[in-house]
Amino acid sequence: MGNLVGAELRKTTTTGLWWGLLIPTAVLALGWGLATGLLGQFFVDFASSGDVDEVSDFLGVTPDQWKVSLFGMARAINISTIFPMVFGAMAISSEISRRTITTTFLTAPSRMHALLAKMLVYVLWGAIYGLAIMAFVSIGVVITSDAGQLPDAGGWAMLTLVCVLSSILMTMLGVGVGALIPNVAGAVVLLLLYFLVIENVLHGVLAYLEVPAVIGFLPNGSINGLTGAVAVDLFLSSAGVVPTEIEDVLRAIAGAAGAQDWWLSGIVFLAWAGVVFAGGWAVTQSKDIT
Amino acid sequence: MHDGSGLIAVQNLTKQFGPVTAVQNLSFTVSPGSVTGFLGPNGAGKTTTLRMLLGLVKPTGGTATINGRPFHQLGQPGRVVGAVLEAQGFHPARSARNHLRVYAAAIGVPDAQADQVMGLVGLGSAADRKVGGFSLGMKQRLALATALLGDPQVLVLDEPANGLDPEGIAWLRTFLQSYARMGRTVLISSHLLAEVEQTVDQVVIISRGQTMFYGPLDQLRQSQQRRVLVQPSDINALANALRTAGVQVIEQLPDGRLAVSGVDSRQVADIALQAGVSVYGIQEETVDLERLFFQLTSGQYAGYAPAQQNPYQQQGGWA
Repeated sequence: MGNLVGAELRKTTTTGLWWGLLIPTAVLALGWGLATGLLGQFFVDFASSGDVDEVSDFLGVTPDQWKVSLFGMARAINISTIFPMVFGAMAISSEISRRTITTTFLTAPSRMHALLAKMLVYVLWGAIYGLAIMAFVSIGVVITSDAGQLPDAGGWAMLTLVCVLSSILMTMLGVGVGALIPNVAGAVVLLLLYFLVIENVLHGVLAYLEVPAVIGFLPNGSINGLTGAVAVDLFLSSAGVVPTEIEDVLRAIAGAAGAQDWWLSGIVFLAWAGVVFAGGWAVTQSKDIT
Repeated sequence: MHDGSGLIAVQNLTKQFGPVTAVQNLSFTVSPGSVTGFLGPNGAGKTTTLRMLLGLVKPTGGTATINGRPFHQLGQPGRVVGAVLEAQGFHPARSARNHLRVYAAAIGVPDAQADQVMGLVGLGSAADRKVGGFSLGMKQRLALATALLGDPQVLVLDEPANGLDPEGIAWLRTFLQSYARMGRTVLISSHLLAEVEQTVDQVVIISRGQTMFYGPLDQLRQSQQRRVLVQPSDINALANALRTAGVQVIEQLPDGRLAVSGVDSRQVADIALQAGVSVYGIQEETVDLERLFFQLTSGQYAGYAPAQQNPYQQQGGWA
């Protein structure tokens, strides 16, 4: 197994795909980070302008102490992890398209070994992407935010943890979908459509039907919940007692409407990734490589 | 684990792709120490058979084993069997050396082995070039290098001569023969007997997914028939004289000649002289291996010849 992991790692480092996708990931994360600080500043200025004092009373602290950057960072992480997901989606689908899968299977004790080794390597890559995303989001936020809007040390650590987790999980889902749909364009387009369009429409419908709790159990809803719930928790921990309605609004701002606790959201998404990978494995196991 | 015998055994192997039967009840064995040719026309089921042997395609029925085990039970398959299946299977942006290092890691051999096999197949100078820029022949060499990485006991090659220049084919021939001389097993497929005739010791000939001939190439050669075509002044007199001399197989051709089997042209001429028959023309005819191969595999996808007569039957048809 160690041999195969080494081989899979070499496969990813001997082509340019990893940095080809890491560059746009970093640019996007940095852009979101910068925008987050600017928007937060604008919002705080607006909230401080007397008319909205009632809201600040709810939150128990003055607006310049609101850690608004948390929401933008959660959203930045959500959108940036699309790239590691795409990276993962190409793990198996591109091997099948390029027919390198033949040699991969000829040099592995079993197909299961080959797929598991690949998954392990992509988990590592998911973590690397996650750290890069966190680094670039942080740079952006720190440049444009006032110190009062930034999380404390514990907050940074917690956000880094969920960012890396989120990136790993998204990569894993990508690997599974790439095994299920052994066509690079097909797998990538489906994932992008689903995460950027389809599930957002679903969220709207579920909210309209007044069952927003279901959202937290959908793939995108749960992965957003992982980061969003942490952002809301961190925000509230520095605020006073907040009514439930306001909390729901805050969750929606963090992009985690209807989400469960962060750890439960993570488990829900892991289950989705597991189901998809199992499906992809079943398809690959019985596939005739002609 | 496998028994290390180097034996390939295919037994009652069958594969259906939907309504199409690609391979039907195929059986043969391949022993170490010789190069075995796996021959048949395009679409005869060669590639499907080899892919079933290598665990890439799941058989509908029957078994295919290497060293007494199906492929997925070999443990470290890369060290037991090396395969050249197609000159594709490369990432175009990866260099030849990196390609080999990826699979050297998978098989568990040191990186130095990658450079060694590249030198062996003559790709040493192209090691750091991206495979996307390789010619078909270079890709074939790289595929062979990949197959050799694990120093395998069994080598399986599907149409390896495709894309190789004459020099490359000559090199491959020598290489495979010496590989087999080391006591290893070499199975090589081709749709042209002539292409592998000088390389192989044993042949398995299949057509329409079934085995047509299986044995040493020499045995196939011995089954070649020869006959003498003679144009005498008196057909009946010569035929009688030949029968008297013990020649049984005599056939009269539409063009007025006699076709005599089982004797050489000298004997026929001597008998004609003794019988007082003039000989206006005499020639010996041999059916070459290629035609024998064609007869064994004929029918499948055989189109009609552009001429009115099938060129393979204009000598009076002799199957």
